[in-house]
Order: sequence, then structure tokens, then C-alpha cells
Amino acid sequence: MTKRTRIFMTGSGAVLAAGLCTGLVAYYGGGFQALVASTGPTELSYVPADASIVAYADVRSIMDSELRQRFKQAMPMNEEGQREFFEHTGINLEQDVDYVVAAATANGFGKNGVLVARGRFDIVKLEGLAREHGAEVQEYSGKRLLVLKHEGWHHDVEKNAEEAAEKAVEKAEAPAGSGGLAAVSAGVPNTGAVAFLEPGLVAIGDLAGVKRAIDAHDHAQSITSNNEMMDLVKDIERTNNAWAVGRFDLIASQAKLPENIARQIPPVKWFAAAGHINGGVSAQLRAEANDDKAAENLRGVINGVISLARLQGQNDPKLAPLISSLQMSGSGKTVELSFTIPSEIFELMAPKIKGEHRVH
Amino acid sequence: MTTVETPARRPPAFLTSSLRIFDLSVGEMLWSRRTIFMALVVGAPVAIALLIRVLVGLGAPIFTEGGPRSNSPIHMTGPAIFGLVIWVMYLRFIVPVLGVFYGTSLIADEVEDKTITYLFTRPISRGAVLAGKYLAYLACTVFVVLPSVVLVYLMIVPLRGSLGASFPDLLKDLLLLTLGLAVYGAVFAFVGAAFKRPLLIGLVFVFGWEQAVMVFPGYLRKFTVAFYLQGIVPHAMPSEGVVSLFQGLFRETPSLLTSLVSLAVIWGIFLAWGARIVARKEYVLEQ
Repeated sequence: MTKRTRIFMTGSGAVLAAGLCTGLVAYYGGGFQALVASTGPTELSYVPADASIVAYADVRSIMDSELRQRFKQAMPMNEEGQREFFEHTGINLEQDVDYVVAAATANGFGKNGVLVARGRFDIVKLEGLAREHGAEVQEYSGKRLLVLKHEGWHHDVEKNAEEAAEKAVEKAEAPAGSGGLAAVSAGVPNTGAVAFLEPGLVAIGDLAGVKRAIDAHDHAQSITSNNEMMDLVKDIERTNNAWAVGRFDLIASQAKLPENIARQIPPVKWFAAAGHINGGVSAQLRAEANDDKAAENLRGVINGVISLARLQGQNDPKLAPLISSLQMSGSGKTVELSFTIPSEIFELMAPKIKGEHRVH
Repeated sequence: MTTVETPARRPPAFLTSSLRIFDLSVGEMLWSRRTIFMALVVGAPVAIALLIRVLVGLGAPIFTEGGPRSNSPIHMTGPAIFGLVIWVMYLRFIVPVLGVFYGTSLIADEVEDKTITYLFTRPISRGAVLAGKYLAYLACTVFVVLPSVVLVYLMIVPLRGSLGASFPDLLKDLLLLTLGLAVYGAVFAFVGAAFKRPLLIGLVFVFGWEQAVMVFPGYLRKFTVAFYLQGIVPHAMPSEGVVSLFQGLFRETPSLLTSLVSLAVIWGIFLAWGARIVARKEYVLEQ
């Protein structure tokens, strides 16, 4: 072997080794992006670690988006309603909310659900409005809470409890105790709460959910400690102004779907949906299947659907940009579908929606 | 006066002979005119990756906005583009083409240059000549292709992606491409040893037979190398183009074990068969 052959081989091996070492360091160190950017909004620290779904929307950029402006021109909004809302709450939805983070556990959005909003809020006005509607002021872990009880609360609770008890009697074959559980769960008061977490940061949701959000932040037991979910968030949050990540299996199991439909649902553990809204909408849907085989099957199904859509949509120039943008990717357990909805499609939809509004 | 009988020199073992031929051939192969072709072929994905990287660095709206009004041509993530490059450029083009061009030339070039006589008159087994040249081919291609894959990975994957998250896929890709080069090389080494116009046969096999058979459902695709290689690709199959559409529709993926075993069998059979042909065939050098 000549000297220059040896030099070439050494250089080539060095490039290979350097690349592999870089990848290895990134793999064990959590990726180089992590060194320069934090994952997700800081408000994720208010999302409990056991949340089964987390969603984020950059309200500011969506409100300012070209698409929204076009919609606004095509379908003028009810400005009267917006003004009334502003007069009552002091919140201008167009300008005062920067972004929101929402989360819920598998129990459902109604219970333990919370929405954290960052923006400019007139606390005095909000508190006054809440008090007018019978809200009570409470303190929880040093945070000021406005607890709002539903007007027909006592009546609703009694009615729900009666209905649940009747259903429990009817379902005699149901496991022992399930009727009682349903009755108890129906009897839990649906108490809303608003918490002023920090200047410019409010949490809105069920009282239990808001309290859990405060606990998650105070005890550092937030979703940021859930590596699986944060990996998904990290992948999608940088380039999208709206996203949601969640445990598909938990949500599907709580959805109480008919058995024949539930059987058809692919074995997916995690899902992520993200979109960037500006001129149009570019979106990504991602699923993390339980195993490689399930992912491969899902990829096959999606590829087949895309192929058929392309064959079908070749003659429709309106749908052509959408169909040509469909792109399936992913490896291992990951299945990802990305697509772009051009603003032209929304423009086509706008007159129809406008027409429906007029009919109503 | 006594005569000292010198013991008869035993020919070197098969492995030693192969390594001797490897040592002789690797430099020749690496600094031949074919290397220019290989550099162009392998350099193309690196150049494309570099171009994308430079454009992104200069602020071109390639990845930033997905909206159609933003004139953004790419709506994919870096890892997805990397997967696409592996499929379309490396697996479907570079690996088979390098296999054809180098594999078929291992013996055919020596015959054409009329230098095979010099190798065959050496006290080494003829099979070792093919084995040594095959090792040289593998070293040349692996040491050129794999670094280029690594460079593409380093440039493309960080765009809307994570180097760490894609690292397992990179390892699978490197292994897969090495396997591909090894198996295609073995097949075309056999073709080069057995047939008179090996390059033509190789090109027909890669761009005719393999492409055509993969489009249609049925068992014929089992007589290709691509079928088993595609079974171990960690990335999703691209769905661009009519051929890809049909391949996606009728895609049948063998299991990992089936793929690995089949590739090993193909490799073993064709390399052994090629060595056997070289050992037995009488090459007639055209005057």
C-alpha cells in the first residue's frame, strides 16, 4: 500500500470517526440543539408530570398571520362582541394574549384540565368581574385564586348524582362499585378557577387542575421531567406556532369508543400534531407506535392512502398543491405525515362558511 | 561433497494470498480513473447538503415558513431529508452503481489489459486473486461512501432535527450501505468473472431487472438484492414519482432476519461461485 493510499484511508477513517463521535455525543448528551435552546415555553413547568396531552398556541403570531388577516377580510368578525368582552374583562383578544399552554390528564379536559395564558391582563378588572359572578377569593401556595362555582351547581350535582345512580342500577352486569364510582364522579362539583401565577401569567381551568398546576411548578414535578414527551415537544416546537403532544393510548382508552372502532385503532403510544400558520398552514402529524412492526404497517397504510390521493387528485387543480405536499416520513417506531394547506383552499372555503353564517 | 536439499517452497495460504493481492490492488483501484467517477457520484449528495446548508445559513426561507406564499420549497425536517437522500441517492443509485462499475471490473479489467497472466503465474490460488481484489473494492468504496454519508448527516440532520435522535438511524444506514456494497460487489464480481460483457449485464440488472420487478407484486422481487436491502432501511420509503408510488403500493417488506440471512446467502454464494469460476475458467486474451 502506497503512502498516499494510507493517508487517504486515514483521512477517510478520521472523517468517519469524527462524525460517529459527534453523533454519539449528541445521542447521549440529548442533542446539540439542547445546548443552545430550551425545550418549549417556560410555562410547561406548570403542566403536571402525568398530563396525557399538552398543547401550545402562539396566539400572537396566529392573530398576526396572513391567513387570519385574509379570513378577517373575507368574513368580518363580530366586533361588537369583541368590544363587549374587552369592556367586561379588559382583555383585547387581538393584542393582549401572547401564547397559551393547555394540558389535561387522561381523566378528561373537564377535570384536571388547565390553560396557562401569557399576556397582558387587567387583574383588578378580572377580579371585579369574577366577584360580580359570585367568585370567592382563595389563597393556594401563595397564589391568588378566584374560585367560580357554577350557578346551578347544587341542582346539577344532585341531578347528576341521581342520573348516575339510576345508570348504575340499570347496569347490573357492571363490575361492583363502578356505579358508585360513576355517581361519585358525577357528584364532583365542576368548579372553575382563575389563578394569577405571575405578573402576566394566568391559569384557567378546573379548581383541581389549577391547584395541580401550581403544585407541579412549586414541587418541580412538571411535564419537563417527562423525557419521552419532552423529546416530542423538542422536535416540533421550534418551527411551529401551534402544537399538541399526547399519549394516544391513554386518550383512546378514555374515549369510550365502540369496540369495533377501538379494534381498528393502530397501536400508537404517542402522537404529536404541529402546525405553522402564516400564509397557509403547514402541518405535521407524528405518531410513535408501540413497536417497529406497527409503525411499518401504519406507514404502509398512509403511503397507500397518499398514493391513492395522488392518483385521484391529479385532475383537480384546486387540491393539487395540498396533495402534492403530502409527505410521509419516519423511521423505527416513528410515523410522520407532513402537508401544506395553501391559503387558496381556505379562500375557497370562506364563501361557503360565510353563506352558512348568513343562512343561520 | 554433500548436496543440501532445499525444501520446496509451499504456496502461501488463501488468506495470506488474498491480503497480498488486496495490498497490491487497493492503491491501483483507488487512484484509477474510476475514482474520479466515484468522487463525482459520492460527492453529489455532499454538494447538495452543503448547498442547502449554505442557503439556510444565508437566511434563505427553505425551512422557516411552510406556507405556500412564503415560497418555501421544502416542508420537511432535516432527518426526513437525510432519509430521502439515503433512499434515493445512496441505496437506489450510488451503491448499485459502484457495485456494478467496480465489481465487474475486478477480473474483467485484468483480462482486458492482458495482465491477468501475471497474477495467475504467481504461486497463489486463483480464487485468492478474486478475493483480494474484492477486499480492495470493499475498502475503496466503504472508505469513500461512508464518510460522505457522515458529512451529509452532519450537514442536513440538524436542520429542524436532532443529531442525537437520528444517530441510531445513521448507524443502521452505515451498516446497511456497507452490506449493500458487499453484496452488490459479490454479485458483480461473479458477473465480471463469468460473462464477457459484464458492465452491460450489470447495468441491465440494476436499472432494468431490479427496478421493473420491484414495481410489480409477486415472488420475482425475491431475486433481487434491493428487495432485501430495502427491508432493513430505517427510513420511510419516499413516495415521489410514479415508480415509487407503485413500489409503495405493492411494497412487501421482508423481516430483518430474512433480509440479513438472504443477503448473507447471496453474498456467500456469488463470491464463492465467482472464485470458483476464476479458478477454473481459461481466459483467452484477445490479441
